[in-house]
Amino acid sequence: MQTVRPRRLRLLFALFAVASLVLAGRLAYWQTFGRAELLARAQDQVRSDLVVAAHRGVIRDRNGAILATTVELRSLYALPKLIPDKDRAAAALGVLLGRDPGPIRAALDSGAEWLYVQRWLPEATANAIAALKIPGLGFQNEPKRLYPNDAIGASVLGFVNDNGVGVTGIEGYYDAQLRGTDGRLVVERDPANRDLAVGLREAVAPRNGVDLTLSIDLVAQTAAERELAAAMKKERATSGSVLVVDPTDGSIRALASAPTYDPAAVRVADPEALRDRAIAWPYEPGSTMKAVTIAAALNEKVVKPTDQYNDVGYAIVGGRRLNNALGKAYGPTTVTQILERSLNAGAAWVGQKLGAQRLSEYFSRFGFGKPTGVDLAGEVSGTVRPLAEWYPVDVGTASFGQGVSVSPLQLAMAYAAIANGGTLYRPYVVASRRDADGEHRTAPVAVSQVVTPDTAATLRGMLLGTVDEGIAHNAAIPGFSVAGKTGTAQIAGPDGSYVDDQYVSSFAGFFPADDPQYVVLVVLEKPDSKLLGTVTATDAFKGIAQDILRYARIQPDRKP
Amino acid sequence: MIASQAVRLVSASPFHGGTSAAGKARRAFDGGTSAAGKARRSRRAVSAIPAGRVAVRRAVRASSWDLRIFGAAIAAIVFCFALALVYVSQTTALSVAGYDVQQLAAQRDELRRQNSLLEVQSARLDSPARIATDAQRLGMVRARYVPVIPAQPLIAKR
Repeated sequence: MQTVRPRRLRLLFALFAVASLVLAGRLAYWQTFGRAELLARAQDQVRSDLVVAAHRGVIRDRNGAILATTVELRSLYALPKLIPDKDRAAAALGVLLGRDPGPIRAALDSGAEWLYVQRWLPEATANAIAALKIPGLGFQNEPKRLYPNDAIGASVLGFVNDNGVGVTGIEGYYDAQLRGTDGRLVVERDPANRDLAVGLREAVAPRNGVDLTLSIDLVAQTAAERELAAAMKKERATSGSVLVVDPTDGSIRALASAPTYDPAAVRVADPEALRDRAIAWPYEPGSTMKAVTIAAALNEKVVKPTDQYNDVGYAIVGGRRLNNALGKAYGPTTVTQILERSLNAGAAWVGQKLGAQRLSEYFSRFGFGKPTGVDLAGEVSGTVRPLAEWYPVDVGTASFGQGVSVSPLQLAMAYAAIANGGTLYRPYVVASRRDADGEHRTAPVAVSQVVTPDTAATLRGMLLGTVDEGIAHNAAIPGFSVAGKTGTAQIAGPDGSYVDDQYVSSFAGFFPADDPQYVVLVVLEKPDSKLLGTVTATDAFKGIAQDILRYARIQPDRKP
Repeated sequence: MIASQAVRLVSASPFHGGTSAAGKARRAFDGGTSAAGKARRSRRAVSAIPAGRVAVRRAVRASSWDLRIFGAAIAAIVFCFALALVYVSQTTALSVAGYDVQQLAAQRDELRRQNSLLEVQSARLDSPARIATDAQRLGMVRARYVPVIPAQPLIAKR
């Protein structure tokens, strides 16, 4: 019988002993120093760390109509390797998605393991695709901002990009509040990817975004957009804007800007359309500014409505001749008639009587040359040069709205001040915010008393005459008193000189004139009708006013 | 050695020790549990009972402790097993309930989603622009002038 030598046995034993020691050491290492790492690896296999997205707040109009909301829509994804017949799948998807099957087929052959076929599908389309039961296709819910009124209110609402960030308008200005704060959920999952009720579970609840209720009235907004679109089409104007303001508190009831865009299809929009012209477009206001000049002069008691001057068709100011619009002379003319006939020479005469310093002060008081503070992104301040930079002629040109630039919103707020008895309000769009703590209403902010109530009342009467008997008679509405003023301004070129035959036409008015409840401003850039562009602007004003009067059930204050 | 084996055999017998009737009878035969009985037993042990039987009795007592410990261990094991069973069954029930909760939460989320979609659809249908477009499609035209009758004269007439 052959026996194993003791030396070999010892060697074998030693080998086993060393191996055991190594294994024991390794085991000890994993149980002590390496324990955390091992535990983390094990947990990683079952743990899922998810971001729980906060729900973006809903935006509603003043009557509760939804203007913008976020809904989870189904996005179609594909796992190409699992699709048995890619040709058939691409053809079927092409029909249902209304797309060419070629690119779909190419995407399926791209080699990607996972890809989106189309994101944010309409429910009907998603249901139809689900009914096909094609292996390798699946759906994933993704939040999508929807605007039920399509392009209506796009300028005021702004839009949300694909990353969920608000870009312009309300969406941009209130992005942080609307977005809320995302939550977090750390949980263990089973092999079927279901949350385990037992085991690790750490949750931080998301804080949903605030819901906003705007001062915007959807009906007024629709009317404003409709009339602006019609005026733009008729005049083939480059751009335009409409503002409807409640003069009693400065709330904006409608804000339209053209060209406009569909917030749901921003990718195909003209970049110029994304600019909200009602707040971000400085222009020379022209004759609509005469009301401000005369308000200042009346408030300073420099002139009275009945004061007269001899109109010769022009005025010489600072050695320069400033003509009336058509160079026509009217002879003896009252201050009221300056507005009724929209006389540049008359406005220059009033401006000279007031003086450059006081005129500049009143421009500042009415809020020109500085942002109004409206709660919308991208507001411009316009330009009113410091008094030290004024040339002698500027007191004349500024009196009838040339040489200064304002935004449509600034002008609308100035007219609102005239309409409400002389108080300049800070305009606002968000009427209230609703969050977890309840509803927070926006309090109107009176910036200053720019003219006395008596001055404002006098000017309202003069502007009423401008519509009843003057140049703005087109704005008259049977049964209602309407006050307002037309404006035609030349457009300055890049070199500072005025461009021939290109104008900005506008109309600013309010109604009912005795107890104004709405101020409406219509501005058209480069209308085809040139100087007669104001007629179209006035027509647009009238269309909007009639809709609002009916909708707001305002009683007639005159016999039709 | 033989005696201890015998004792172990006896201790394994169901008729020995504990609270059985045989045990009670033997205790009665041994003189009960009273002090007088104990004294008698000790006297008898010293005087009459042979040394072998004393050893057997001691062994019986010792074996009784073994049995008790064994029983206690079994009971502890059974208790632990039952506890584990309860824990596992509760955990399983909790997991199942967790899956149910998830399913219900998913149903709730889907219903909320559908509700949101319906709200959007309702808002679309209520949109003045859509109504105007549909009215135009139906051949309606906007009235150029809508007369408004003041309320005061009508009230005065009444």
